[in-house]
Amino acid sequence: MASVTLENVIKRYGDLQAVHGVDLEIRDGEFMVLVGPSGCGKSTTLRMIAGLEAISEGTCRIGDRVVNDVPPQRRNIAMVFQNYALYPHKSVRENIVFGLKRAKTEPAEIHKRLAEAARMLRLEPYLDRKPAALSGGQRQRVAMGRAIVRDADVFLFDEPLSNLDAKLRHDMRTEIRRIHKNYGTTSIYVTHDQVEAMTLADRVVVMRDGWIEQVGRPMDIYLHPANLFTATFIGAPSMNILDGTLDADGVHLGSHTLPVPPAKQAVAAAALEAGGGRARPIKIGIRPDFFEDCAFATMGPNSVRLDGLRVEIVEPLGFDREITFHIGESSAMARLDLRSDIAEDSTIDLCVDLERVHFFDPDSGKNLELVA
Amino acid sequence: MLGRRGLWGNLTLTVAVVLLLLFCLFPFVQILSTSLKYQADWGNPSLIPTQFNWDAYLELLGWGETEELAIPPSIERLLDRPGLTDAQRERILAPYRETADIFPFPRYFLNTILLAGVAALIALALAVFGAYAFSRVRFTGQAIIQRSILFVYMVGGVLLMVPLYQIAVGVGLAATPWGSVVALVLIYVIQTLPVSLYMLGNYFRTIPYSLEEAAAIDGCTRIETIFQVIIPLSIPMLVTVYIYAFIIAWNEFLFASVFLRQYDDLYTLPLGLQTLFVSKNAIWDRIMAASILTLLPVLVLFTFAMRNLTGGLAAGGVKE
Ligand SMILES: Nc1ncnc2c1ncn2[C@@H]1O[C@H](COP(=O)(O)OP(=O)(O)OP(=O)(O)O)[C@@H](O)[C@H]1O
Ligand SMILES: [Mg+2]
Repeated sequence: MASVTLENVIKRYGDLQAVHGVDLEIRDGEFMVLVGPSGCGKSTTLRMIAGLEAISEGTCRIGDRVVNDVPPQRRNIAMVFQNYALYPHKSVRENIVFGLKRAKTEPAEIHKRLAEAARMLRLEPYLDRKPAALSGGQRQRVAMGRAIVRDADVFLFDEPLSNLDAKLRHDMRTEIRRIHKNYGTTSIYVTHDQVEAMTLADRVVVMRDGWIEQVGRPMDIYLHPANLFTATFIGAPSMNILDGTLDADGVHLGSHTLPVPPAKQAVAAAALEAGGGRARPIKIGIRPDFFEDCAFATMGPNSVRLDGLRVEIVEPLGFDREITFHIGESSAMARLDLRSDIAEDSTIDLCVDLERVHFFDPDSGKNLELVA
Repeated sequence: MLGRRGLWGNLTLTVAVVLLLLFCLFPFVQILSTSLKYQADWGNPSLIPTQFNWDAYLELLGWGETEELAIPPSIERLLDRPGLTDAQRERILAPYRETADIFPFPRYFLNTILLAGVAALIALALAVFGAYAFSRVRFTGQAIIQRSILFVYMVGGVLLMVPLYQIAVGVGLAATPWGSVVALVLIYVIQTLPVSLYMLGNYFRTIPYSLEEAAAIDGCTRIETIFQVIIPLSIPMLVTVYIYAFIIAWNEFLFASVFLRQYDDLYTLPLGLQTLFVSKNAIWDRIMAASILTLLPVLVLFTFAMRNLTGGLAAGGVKE
């Protein structure tokens, strides 16, 4: 096991810069998830750590060793590929033990690890089959098995679940968590699925266009997104972003006014000061899950009421119901539970805890941390 | 349905195909037929011999009793003339000797198999690494090297014959029997390499690159990856390329005739056949039987190659 350190790592393809100066430290035994939309450079970053892609600039360290010029076969890493990349001419058994054999592991030890991995991944009945005779989920498990039997310093996963259906994906996610719990190997996991990121990660790296937007524990990113991008990318359904104005009285959202809590008034004043004291536009972010129906809400010290909101659409989802309503100029979504039996085109009073409301600078997209 | 043909269209197509087939196959049937006829039967246009004559085959394979050919009295008288040198006498007698002396089939067969087998093996080994480099490695001058190899293929053998022979003489290869064989093997390798590289290169490109990446992660160096992943996945294509190179060398006459002319012991089948054709000993059934025996291995190998071409070993390893 080992830590992985990236220092100002840059990847260029000709004139195109795919990854811009990534600084990242993945601690020994940590499960780190790289998440971001398609084309943001997640795979490229992972492949540079694997040694499959040359590093244009910067340093990559595994443990204490700088590995920039070390070929993949000598980095002692294991990797699960998005497309499985199983050896078609080898049986499942041979696929799994191939790396161990290359490393000249004792036959008894190979046997032991194979048995353990096969049991854990429920692959015992298929050991003598060729990959062509397996289902997608089984192939994915073989690819996983090939990685976990290795005594590797780091496990790398490139969207290992993206080809599976929803149910299998859920099962495999649990499987991966269990594997990490058992082996505790430093893992770097690439996905564009924020649910996988939230559920699997010790820490999450949110990437966009080759830049790191935010690094942190999943709940920290969920509750304290650094900017508009992470705010909307992490969490489902996505955070409502509403247009408002900040002035000395507080934040105005249509006809509603949200007061700035006393502890944060200095920051608000500074923000106003920067704009020459005039009222300035601001983006207000509220997650659909943090709205409460005032009829059932317990009002805390920081709660505010938004009265008389017109409900446009109601979508019952069983326990939850999602309602779309108008506030100010914009429309927003709230997720309430089945107690709130409202009709479309009626009005509703919603409460929200100011602690959970974010204010973003509309130009830079940065979280102003007025309330945090 | 698109392109549906009427009755007449179908009929025309069938007739055309049958005609083409007959046109292609007729010479072979004729060879087979003649090889099995007795001399008296040669004028008979029927393809089926009135009586089957296996003597030519048995004789070529060295299994039959050899019949002495009677020397006509006029020739006997010629030989009695005084002042004939031994060489002249020999030449007069040559047509009446056993075929086995002129056309020792088993030896020529063995010569050809060894020559073609070794040449094809070397060509295959070089083609594997060359094709891998062309399809997977980027290096400067790649396009130029690739094109010049194809260029060699476009230049006809006749044009190269004299310069190549001169080179072989120049480096001293043509002076000894084994040197000539080495030169010939080299030439066959060079002749078959372009197409072999092309076939293998295109095949390697169909093998997903991520398999090689997986092998690298599993600890394989590039060479190990070639042996552990690329070669096992390409076996059908490797067999096909080997057979291709083998057949080319097996049938090659031009260079063999130049390099091996002086060494009867090293004759290949095409060279032997040609010698048989032009000798006075040229008796139809023998020539045709020898031709059939030369054709046979090619036919067998070709069938084998066809079966192999329907490969598909790489299925199931990656999600497309
Ligand atoms: N070999 C290459 N040559 C040129 N550009 C490349 C190459 N590989 C990747 N890129 C570019 O680099 C950027 C990052 O690619 P990367 O594969 O890392 O994205 P990703 O985050 O993994 O996306 P996805 O979720 O779709 O897999 C993309 O804009 C892509 O077009
Ligand atoms: Mg990717």
